[in-house]
Amino acid sequence: MSINIFIVDDDESVCRALKTLLMTYDFEVKTFNSAQSFFATVDHDDPGCLLLDIHMPGLDGWEVQKRILASGSTRPVIFISAEKKDDATDRAIKAGAVGFLQKPVNGQTLVDLINGVKD
Amino acid sequence: MKNKIIRKPRQTRVILPEKPKGPLLNIRIRNNLEEKVRQQTDELKIREGQLKLGADREKLGADREKIAEEQIHIRTKAMESTLDGIFIIDAKKADFPIIYANPSFFNLTGYSKSEVMGKSYFLLYGFDANLRIVEEIKQTLHQGKSFHGEMLNFKKNGEKYWCLLRIAPVRNAKGIITHYVGIKTDTSLMKQRDSEIEEQREELLHVTRVGKLAEFVSSLAHEISQPLTAILSYAQAAQRMLKDREPQLREILQYIINDDQRAAEVIRRLRSLLKKNKPTFETLDINTLTNDTVTLIMPHITAKNKVIRLELDSNLITIQGDRIQLQQVLLNLISNSLEAMEDSDSRELLIRTSLKDADTILVQVKDSGCGIPEENKPKLFAHFFTSKPDGLGMGLSISRSIVEAHGGHLEAENNPDRGATFYFTIPIHMKSDR
Repeated sequence: MSINIFIVDDDESVCRALKTLLMTYDFEVKTFNSAQSFFATVDHDDPGCLLLDIHMPGLDGWEVQKRILASGSTRPVIFISAEKKDDATDRAIKAGAVGFLQKPVNGQTLVDLINGVKD
Repeated sequence: MKNKIIRKPRQTRVILPEKPKGPLLNIRIRNNLEEKVRQQTDELKIREGQLKLGADREKLGADREKIAEEQIHIRTKAMESTLDGIFIIDAKKADFPIIYANPSFFNLTGYSKSEVMGKSYFLLYGFDANLRIVEEIKQTLHQGKSFHGEMLNFKKNGEKYWCLLRIAPVRNAKGIITHYVGIKTDTSLMKQRDSEIEEQREELLHVTRVGKLAEFVSSLAHEISQPLTAILSYAQAAQRMLKDREPQLREILQYIINDDQRAAEVIRRLRSLLKKNKPTFETLDINTLTNDTVTLIMPHITAKNKVIRLELDSNLITIQGDRIQLQQVLLNLISNSLEAMEDSDSRELLIRTSLKDADTILVQVKDSGCGIPEENKPKLFAHFFTSKPDGLGMGLSISRSIVEAHGGHLEAENNPDRGATFYFTIPIHMKSDR
């Protein structure tokens, strides 16, 4: 059974590239350029792992994660950000995320993290 | 009074030639006698008046002398009491001897009266003084001009002090310079305060510059990381798609991946080099902070011919914050306002602190400048957005992130009449979720 992956990143090129990469691993990938369009399209209980950018106009990654938790959803979230704050990983884990990866992301590392969620 | 007394006898004399002359000798004699008595009485009266006048004059003279004496006394006292060192030089003697110096002069220089009086003024400078300036003073005085300057002086014991010196020539009725009067003011404290303010300003500017650079690099890193992410993912995807085919192409893809990661590493290192200082939180009074910041930027405001009005709510509660960072925010908002008012005839900039509610402090910076054009509003706080020809577009975005790190918000709106107001809030109790 393949895992659904949702990617939310305001950079279209990043979305397309990650999707291309993850599809070679046989994941089902859907991309969104904003958190708003993600929430509008995907229900809280639709299964799937969320790859979430942090710095976005409108709702940022932290806010999105808060909303997901508040809705009672158990969707695994992996933050992917260009930002490397020393405490970002800690903060991501504390916020209930599965992990935090810094851009540019190595494909295999990402896939291992996603597969870790599955287990 | 003088005129009245003199006029009276003259009138009497005018009457005299019209004395009645007639056969009645007795009567005439008697009349003459009466006339004489009257005349003498009058003369006596006049003499008495003259005597009185003399006494008045004498008294007046004595009074005047007394007043003059009092004035001299007061002036001398004032000269002896003032905290400025005052000295008088005899200009007619070639070596410029000091003929008077007040107590403050002795205090200031550390020399005693006997060491100063009659000695050449220039000898007091000793060997430590800046000889070029001493020579300049000499030249100025020789040319009969006034000297005005500030210099480092040395007391007798070698102690340094900053001295504001003014020497002016004193001329006699013929316009010849007879003396020079000099005033020495110790400006060490003012200098020290000035240099402290200058130091603080430098520190703040340095932090601001470093902060801007760090934010700039951080933003740049973010912008470059995005395409690097895409390139890496595409290359890795292509590699996987090729599986065991096209080994040469797979090798090329590997080079792309390696170089992508090399570029990413450069950015990572650059970023860690310019790591932003972590905020150091301390207890702060926003009003004090505002006053301090305004003091720092005051010369700039005066130079631009603008004025700052402060409306500081005295009932504010202290907050926890990073002093330098919050000063940076205020400084940035004030500078922006000044620039917005650059071509404006309005001069006033208002800074207001108040309690927004029981738990939040509000700081407003209100200008009367050009305001914010509607199309700029959405991008105002974005990285790299600037409306200035030489701006980096970092100031407001940094300010906003600083305020947000303090748990507050930074916003802007146009005023109903003219100009814009930038305002930020700082909660009194920091929320602990960040």
